[in-house]
Amino acid sequence: MAIPKTLKEKANKEMGISTEDARITKTYLFVAFMALLIGGLLGLLQGLNRAGLLELPSWLNYYQVLTAHGLLLVVVLTAFFTIGYFYAGLSHTLGGLLPKVRKMAWIGFGLKIVGFVFAVIPILMGNASVMYTFYPPMAASPWFYIGLALIVVGVWMCAFGAFIQVANWRKNNKGKHVPILSFFATGVFILLFFGSLPVAIEVIVMIIPWSFGWVKTINVMVARTLFWAFGHTLVNIWYLTAVSAWYVIVPKIIGGKRWSDLLTRIVIIALVIMNITGGFHHQIIDPGISESVKFMHVFMSLAIGFPSLMTAWAMFAVFERTARKNGGKGIVGWYKKMPWGDVRFLAPFIAMLAFIPAGAGGIVQSTNQLNQVVHNTMWIAGHFHLTLGMSVVMTFFGISYWLVPYVSKRVLTPAINKLGVIQTIIWTVGMVIMSGAMHTVGLLGSPRRTSYTTYGDNATALGWNPYLLLLAVGGTLLIIGVLLQVYAVINMMFFAPKGETEFPIAEEEEGASKTPYWTERWGLWIVIMLIFVGMAYVIPLTEFIVNAPPGSPPFKTW
Amino acid sequence: MNQFFSGFLLVIFLALPPVAHLLESIMIVHMHMQMPLLVIAGFLMARLFQLRFPRFFEKWNGNGIPGILLFLIIIVFWTIPRSMDEALNFQSMEIFKFFSLSILAGIPLRDSWKKLSSFGKNAVIIIFTIKYFGMGLLYIKAPVQLCNNYLIMDQLTLGWGFLTTAICLVIYLLYVTFTDPTKYQ
Repeated sequence: MAIPKTLKEKANKEMGISTEDARITKTYLFVAFMALLIGGLLGLLQGLNRAGLLELPSWLNYYQVLTAHGLLLVVVLTAFFTIGYFYAGLSHTLGGLLPKVRKMAWIGFGLKIVGFVFAVIPILMGNASVMYTFYPPMAASPWFYIGLALIVVGVWMCAFGAFIQVANWRKNNKGKHVPILSFFATGVFILLFFGSLPVAIEVIVMIIPWSFGWVKTINVMVARTLFWAFGHTLVNIWYLTAVSAWYVIVPKIIGGKRWSDLLTRIVIIALVIMNITGGFHHQIIDPGISESVKFMHVFMSLAIGFPSLMTAWAMFAVFERTARKNGGKGIVGWYKKMPWGDVRFLAPFIAMLAFIPAGAGGIVQSTNQLNQVVHNTMWIAGHFHLTLGMSVVMTFFGISYWLVPYVSKRVLTPAINKLGVIQTIIWTVGMVIMSGAMHTVGLLGSPRRTSYTTYGDNATALGWNPYLLLLAVGGTLLIIGVLLQVYAVINMMFFAPKGETEFPIAEEEEGASKTPYWTERWGLWIVIMLIFVGMAYVIPLTEFIVNAPPGSPPFKTW
Repeated sequence: MNQFFSGFLLVIFLALPPVAHLLESIMIVHMHMQMPLLVIAGFLMARLFQLRFPRFFEKWNGNGIPGILLFLIIIVFWTIPRSMDEALNFQSMEIFKFFSLSILAGIPLRDSWKKLSSFGKNAVIIIFTIKYFGMGLLYIKAPVQLCNNYLIMDQLTLGWGFLTTAICLVIYLLYVTFTDPTKYQ
């Protein structure tokens, strides 16, 4: 980690974030948690409807709710949180944001909000119940897609702002390694930019002209493939954001040191290079891709598991060393020395634990034969509630308990910490019940994305009911969790006592070996990533385009 | 020794009949995955040879140019459609493919790369860029099967694979041309 040298950097570390930089992060976080509140309420409606407990009115049907729930939590919450968090990180570790970069963050914010409004209106009007994956041939109002395109452009604005900030720092700090949190930010923004290119092509070149009726048909398989090149990358962007807190923040909170700087940087580079190609496992039972190609793509997907295993290794190394330093004893007895009562540790720790079954479930899904059992069942919904809803979001919650006070120049009070611990427990119990029920009922064959039906009182479908009720129970606990979390954030943002909160960044271990400079060669990593992407996508895309079936006209299935 | 061993294991793995069969069943994977992996295997194995026979490399590959020329000749040979066909039809050619790409291309590549000036390195990348554009167009435009063992569809895919790789190489060349590492390092 670079030692701050310039006066500006020192001032920044001592005095805390500048008001202008803080305003950016505060605004982004505020939007993120409002999205959590509304998205969470919609999720509750969905869960209750799905369990057969609640009949939705005709003007607000299940599919509309599902689309909005997905968009709010999958796009708005994650994107706004990620950008807000990393911009605070860039500001803190790189000596304050450049005025130009700040402006870009605000333009990006404006574009995203305008885009979001464009996307929401058709959903509310019932013209865009295509669900958040917006697969053709289901077609929404063109304005929905225009809104999504604007959100993407807004994200790009923030990505380029981050690149400018990092490049400027590197010019002023020749030969130094970019501080680790900003290194994570660089990786995340590279993925955000390159990962959203395919979906931008899908939306702008293919879907918008088709939904306006300027072209009659669309190549469904090409559209799906471009979608997943983005979709899977987005998943890993959240994951990488969470991982950044695990590597950099959590060790500091428990009073430890970062374990290996080189390993951390290699994990980031590996995740950036191998990520976009992983999108294929979402299409593992799609037609038009030969089995041998799918087989090889399973390798590509599982390769992403490798850096994750390195992460698990590094995390437990940090925990054990720190706990032993604090007097922990025994093979596993050291766990007693961990700060279990500190929500800033507890929430991300449970998030990490959740990643073990979540990752295992992911491996199940990327395996061709096993995927055929669970494809398009509630299992999948269970999986991403475990990954996004626990591993990622609980880390975000954990971050919020120091980041919100940090940018608001307030402090985390013991009461709010206690509330956070309670919130963490409620959330964990709720998500385990809900996700567990979803996984199980999925194995029993219950389809995802379907409002409540007993299929004419078919015995199999009736057998799903107890699990669907459990799903509703979990969902109800989760909404309590949402309310507590949003309350905590609002409190820390506007009402908590004034004071200084530290931006917790762990130092490297003493005597760590020097990280080689080649880790900073992002240009090279990007080219290697592009070669990987080119190689992975050229086979199916050529097949889909050259041997294209007749395209599909738009359908409104709702 | 570790590096040699991992390179050697990679060659053995790639030579396992089911692995070789799978990789060779798709034209683009045959050329753009199996063959580069063999070169990488040779690249890894090279360390042992460099340590064992330093005089040999010094005498025959002092400035890196003979080695890189040998590498280029071997690689160009294996992009000719007919050589791929022969590797599939004749066991002896298949053995030569494994031997030549790992030993005659991978080892000289490693020994030469560090000896080349940045001009030399970029020249090699430019040669590859031109070759990849050329081969890409050939495979895309050819109206007939160039390999007896692969369909026109496979050929077309390989052509696009060449073009996309060439585009990536152009991006790399632009990156090294327009960024100044001395500003950062």
